[in-house]
Amino acid sequence: MEFSLSAIANQVDTWLHANCASWLALTIEFVIVGLLCIALFAVLGLVLIMMERKVSAYMQLRLGPNRVGPKGMFQTLADTLKLLVKEGLTPNGADKFLFNLAPFIVMIAAMLVLAPIGFAKDFVIWDINIGVLYISAISSIGVIGILMAGWASNNKYSLLGAMRSGAQIVSYELSAGLSILTIVIFTQDMSMGQIVASQADGWWIWKGHIPVIISFIIFLIAVTAETNRAPFDLAEAESELTAGFHTEYSGMKFALFFLAEYVNIFIVCAVGATLFLGGWMPLHIGNWADFNRIMDYIPSSVWFFGKTFFLIFVIMWFRWTFPRLRIDQLLNLEWKYLLPISMFNLLLATFIAIQGWYL
Amino acid sequence: MFITKYLSEVFGGLRSLLTGMRRTGYYFTHHKNIITQQYPNEKPVLAERFRGEVVMLHDDNNEHACTGCTACELACPNATIKIVTKFDLTPEGKKKKAIDKFVYHLELCTMCNLCVEACPTGAITMAPNFEHSVLNRNELTKVLNKPGSKIREGVE
Amino acid sequence: MNANDIIFYLLGAFILVNGILAMTNRKIFRAAIFLLFSLIGVAGLYFWMHVEFVAAVQIIVYVGGIVVLIIFSIFLTQQTGQDMPKPNKMRMLFSALAVLFGAGFTYMLIRNHGFIGDGNNQFDVSPQRIGEQMLDTEQSGYALPFEVISILLLAAMIGSIVIALKSKAQEA
Repeated sequence: MEFSLSAIANQVDTWLHANCASWLALTIEFVIVGLLCIALFAVLGLVLIMMERKVSAYMQLRLGPNRVGPKGMFQTLADTLKLLVKEGLTPNGADKFLFNLAPFIVMIAAMLVLAPIGFAKDFVIWDINIGVLYISAISSIGVIGILMAGWASNNKYSLLGAMRSGAQIVSYELSAGLSILTIVIFTQDMSMGQIVASQADGWWIWKGHIPVIISFIIFLIAVTAETNRAPFDLAEAESELTAGFHTEYSGMKFALFFLAEYVNIFIVCAVGATLFLGGWMPLHIGNWADFNRIMDYIPSSVWFFGKTFFLIFVIMWFRWTFPRLRIDQLLNLEWKYLLPISMFNLLLATFIAIQGWYL
Repeated sequence: MFITKYLSEVFGGLRSLLTGMRRTGYYFTHHKNIITQQYPNEKPVLAERFRGEVVMLHDDNNEHACTGCTACELACPNATIKIVTKFDLTPEGKKKKAIDKFVYHLELCTMCNLCVEACPTGAITMAPNFEHSVLNRNELTKVLNKPGSKIREGVE
Repeated sequence: MNANDIIFYLLGAFILVNGILAMTNRKIFRAAIFLLFSLIGVAGLYFWMHVEFVAAVQIIVYVGGIVVLIIFSIFLTQQTGQDMPKPNKMRMLFSALAVLFGAGFTYMLIRNHGFIGDGNNQFDVSPQRIGEQMLDTEQSGYALPFEVISILLLAAMIGSIVIALKSKAQEA
């Protein structure tokens, strides 16, 4: 039998409904979904941090972690263990309630965004009809957590980092939103499921040609800035602000921030893969029936994670290539370049969509 | 014109970004020539002119070229070198000045190389040794001339 | 009372408790955070009503925009770490009166008129429908208000740019 996540999910669903009352089955399903999300986060944290360290090492002609386990594969596990047993300090002058709340806000915001993402064919938590709008709405909650952390730490570096981060996320959300809108114009639907379905005969990056490629580039730049990653990591610029908003955090609370950063990268890359690269849709080329059949044989979850990890790799590539921007360069880039270009691009996309000049 | 300047800025910026990414992408795909030296497992390759400590050169007959002229001691800016001299008797019965101990305080040395430059006979040089950690501070005070060594014939 | 009602009352309690906390807390930043929770609760209420578009817009505008703006202005104000001074008795009395009258008025309205509609008829709130309605020039279309608000926002944007703009003479 072909491997498919949705078949497993359906089997679990029928089994539960056959054996328990429907409300109990629903509750158990909620719990399972929650646990799966947490498990996914934990695994993503371990894998992505390892990947980042290896990618950075190879790009700088280094070896990277290589002591714990084969080729250093268990290094992040060891790091996590260290963070787990470390004391979580709360500074004396801090606003204790907000200080302890902030990492959870960031984490919860990251977790909520998972809902409309289709991980495989017919495998999605909640295919809400306003999918992409929901994603850009929920991801704006995360910035509140960062601002809260910066304020509650009672530390000027944290506050500066939080303010930079807030200004950055609020401004880059505009161009990220506008580049998402380009795809919405072409698909005429905001549901993630519909967007994926519209790419059955080719991914938007091919079908939508010029405007989609422009918005893809803008999307990549904007989400790199939104996740506070280098070259846009002014919020935690080590050389100027020690570590920005998470200077005062230690132990598990720091680990939550760290994990949220990587989970956010995964999420924005998953969104990018869904919008521009066809989500779980396999690669099909025109009328090559044999080729298409072979591509169909690869499970859809593999396609989805493959595309997502490709985008994650590209974003890591950015990080280990470019130097950090200054705050004025950052805002210039957004307001003088990305925003006007994406607005013009939106007009261009609308024109092309009306004329039907896409495949 | 404004718009052409703007567009050329945008495309120029993109091109420069891609140039950088091509470089790192090349490194990523060509990671055979790793520059990391895994120190305790493999001896690091040091540069030719690496200055680790001052040593005195001895040849196979346990002879060195130090005349005890104290030029190095005078040249040293922070009194790292202390030469204790003695007087040897030559076969003709004459007294000749020679070194008894060439005391070298590694803990004071800044590896400035001035002593090596000052030496008229080329008796001392900088060695590429960096594993200097010891458990007792006294072990950093070294005597550079090997026991039983004497000055090479013909070196004045 | 079924699960739907329980969720409604939980959301309502969440909104009200956070609203009261936002009003009574004397640390201004905490008050802003409680306001944020209250607004998120309102968005939750919209999700509960299956009007996801409005819920998402509520979060984008209020959480992503207004509250961030409020927090920024708190950051840029001096001495925001200290507790706010206690309000004087007269002011408290009058605000209590205002709350009382507001609640009484709302209660009267609801009691006299009740809720129209049985809450069972599904209404079409797909984004496509909202978009068409927004640009509809026919009866019950929103093209005119939409355009008026656009012009208002444009004017506000230009105004803020003009205020923020450094004049050439000052620079020199």
